[in-house]
Parts: sequence; C-alpha cells; structure tokens
Amino acid sequence: MASTGAVTFWRSAGMTYNAYSNICAAIVRNCLKEPYKSEAVTRETVHFTTTNWENGIQGKPVTHEIFK
Amino acid sequence: MAMAAMRREGRRLMVISPTVSLNSTNAVRSPLVSQELSLQGTRSISTQIVRTRMKSVKNIQKITKAMKMVAASKLRGVQVRTEQSRGLWQPFSALLGDIPSMDVKRNIVITVSSDKGLCGGINTTSVKVSKAINRMNSGPEKETKYVILGEKGKVQLMRDSKKDIEVTISEIQKNPLNYTQVSCLADDILKNIEFDALKIVFNKFQSVVQFLPTVATILSPECVDAASETGGKLEGLNSYEIEGGDSKKEILQNLTEFQFSCVMFNAVLENSCSELGARVSAMDSSSRNAGDMLDRLTLAYNRTRQASITTELSEIISGAAALTG
Repeated sequence: MASTGAVTFWRSAGMTYNAYSNICAAIVRNCLKEPYKSEAVTRETVHFTTTNWENGIQGKPVTHEIFK
Repeated sequence: MAMAAMRREGRRLMVISPTVSLNSTNAVRSPLVSQELSLQGTRSISTQIVRTRMKSVKNIQKITKAMKMVAASKLRGVQVRTEQSRGLWQPFSALLGDIPSMDVKRNIVITVSSDKGLCGGINTTSVKVSKAINRMNSGPEKETKYVILGEKGKVQLMRDSKKDIEVTISEIQKNPLNYTQVSCLADDILKNIEFDALKIVFNKFQSVVQFLPTVATILSPECVDAASETGGKLEGLNSYEIEGGDSKKEILQNLTEFQFSCVMFNAVLENSCSELGARVSAMDSSSRNAGDMLDRLTLAYNRTRQASITTELSEIISGAAALTG
C-alpha cells in the first residue's frame, strides 16, 4: 500500500482501485433511464466461491454474492 | 426350495416323456425330433441384450447431441464478448508490458480452468502449463503458489501440488460473466495474496477447434517501478508526464490493479469460449461415435434375427419335404 504523500481518500480506506471504480460504475449505471437501467443492472451480478488452503488442507468455502 | 425344484424337475420329465414314447414308436422321425429338442435354446438367440444396448446408445446420442447444441448456442454469445474484451488488455500490455521472463521472488500462478468437464483437454493443458511455469520459477529463496479458478483444475492440481495451493475459486460461471464479477474476484486476490508477479494461465480462443495455452504476466507496482528504473522493455514508462498531485508509485499501483482485473476478465472469457468450443467438438465426435456404434449394433441385431428366421424356414421346409417325401 502506498502511504507516502497525499494518498487518495479511498486508498486510505483500504480499497483497491477496482473496488473504487466498481462503485463509480454502479453510480453511473444508476443514472441511466429505465429501459437501459434494468439491462445494465444485470451486468452487476456477482457470484463466486473462494476456498483458502493452508499447507495442503482445504478450508471452508466462502461464497461472495452481490445481486442487484 | 427342494420341493419346488423337485416339482420343476418332475414337470420337465412329464414334458419330455411323450417325446420319449414318440421316439420309441416312430424310429424314422426320431433324429429330427431329438435335434429339435436339443436346439430349443440355441436356435433363437435372445436379442434382448442387443436391443437394450441399442436403446441406451440411442439415448446417449440424444444427450450428446443436445449438449452440443447448447454449447454451440452459448458459444456464439460468448465469442462476440471475448473478441470485444481483447481491446481491454491490449493498451495495458503496450504501456506496462507483458514480461514473463522477469525474475522475481514471489510468483503466483493463476490457473484458469472450467467447473464442468466433457470439454476435451483444455483443463489438462492449462494445468500442464501451470506446472511447467511453477517448475521454471522454482529455486532457492523463491516461492511459487497456485490460485486456481474452476473445479477441474483444482482436482488435477490437488494430486501432486496440494501444498502449493493458496486459494481456489469456483462457480464463477453460474451467471453470465461480467466485468463487475471478475473485478471483485481480482480484488479478492489483490487484497489477500502477496505477490511480485501474477502469471495467468488460460486457453486463448483461436477457433472452435484451436486453443492456444497462454500466459499473461502482471507485475506488482514495485516490480514495474524497479523495471522502469533499470531500463529495458519498460524504459518508455519514464517518458510520461504525470499530471495532478499523484506520485508515480500511486499511479502505477492503480494501473497494475486495473490491468490485473482487465486481463483477468479477458482470460476468463477466453477460457470459457475455448471450453464451449472444445465441448462442441467433443460432443460432435461423441455423437458421431454413438451413431457408428448404433450402426454396428443394428447390423449385428438384424443379422441374428435373419439367421434365426432362415433356420426356422429351412426347418419348416425340410420338415414338409420329409412329410411329403
């Protein structure tokens, strides 16, 4: 993490550039008018499962989900 | 039980007894009759097994044909998106480069594979390439770990590289792939895993029957900075002017993060496109195989049927001839 100089506010909140740009993109999508809005919302669904491994032992799977 | 067997035995004896008496009374016809009895089982071979087999092969063919259709229709949509997504990473490799030969301490190999099988050898290919990269980058004071996308790659790498697995990710293709999802995933990797270089291994889609195993390298901002200072391929990076109050380090960090999610998005799309293409060709050949098998079985079935009919006919004719003659 860059900590020298003027760090941008979202970076100091522990966000990566991707998280920041995703939030911005969601705001822009929200500004659309109706027929386009509901179409754009389908591009925001997030679903995946991650499993951490430690020394060859599988941990518990965690599901990440954002449905809008 | 014993009584039942005795009864059955007795019935059979009863059935046989008339012929026995017939045998003794009519010496001329006896050879024919006794032959008919002994061939009772063998003359009409049961075609039941072949018929069941044919039915199951036909059903399998139906399933493989349907799977081919589904994969082909999905492929059409994904292919367009994949080709469009190529424009997303190309500017990044022009700016930050793609240097797989960069010698760094901590390498992370991201193996992109599919969740489902029946798609030829694409998962095996990406696993093999990942293992080769792992071997190439291993050495003293170096660390190489795997991040695996998809169930199939996980199952293959679990066999001998269990200790090197850091994170496995699955179910990303439950909904149609979108950028938000992939960037959340990239975010998860960025936050939880320390790296100097990320090597993404995936199958690049060429055509429905051709896939190229590809490695995309993403360096950490520190490594990019170091590489641009020392010159070489990234020397051009110093010639850019930086506007605003951000330092070069911050900009590089933002850029590499965004580059990673863009390259990941393209890699995941390319791989799913290759998966569907491989599935189309695999299912095509398997339904063709099922057709061949069905042809052979039908031939065998008809031949047996015909043979039994012929035998019966010849028996009737010879019997009639014996009666008249």
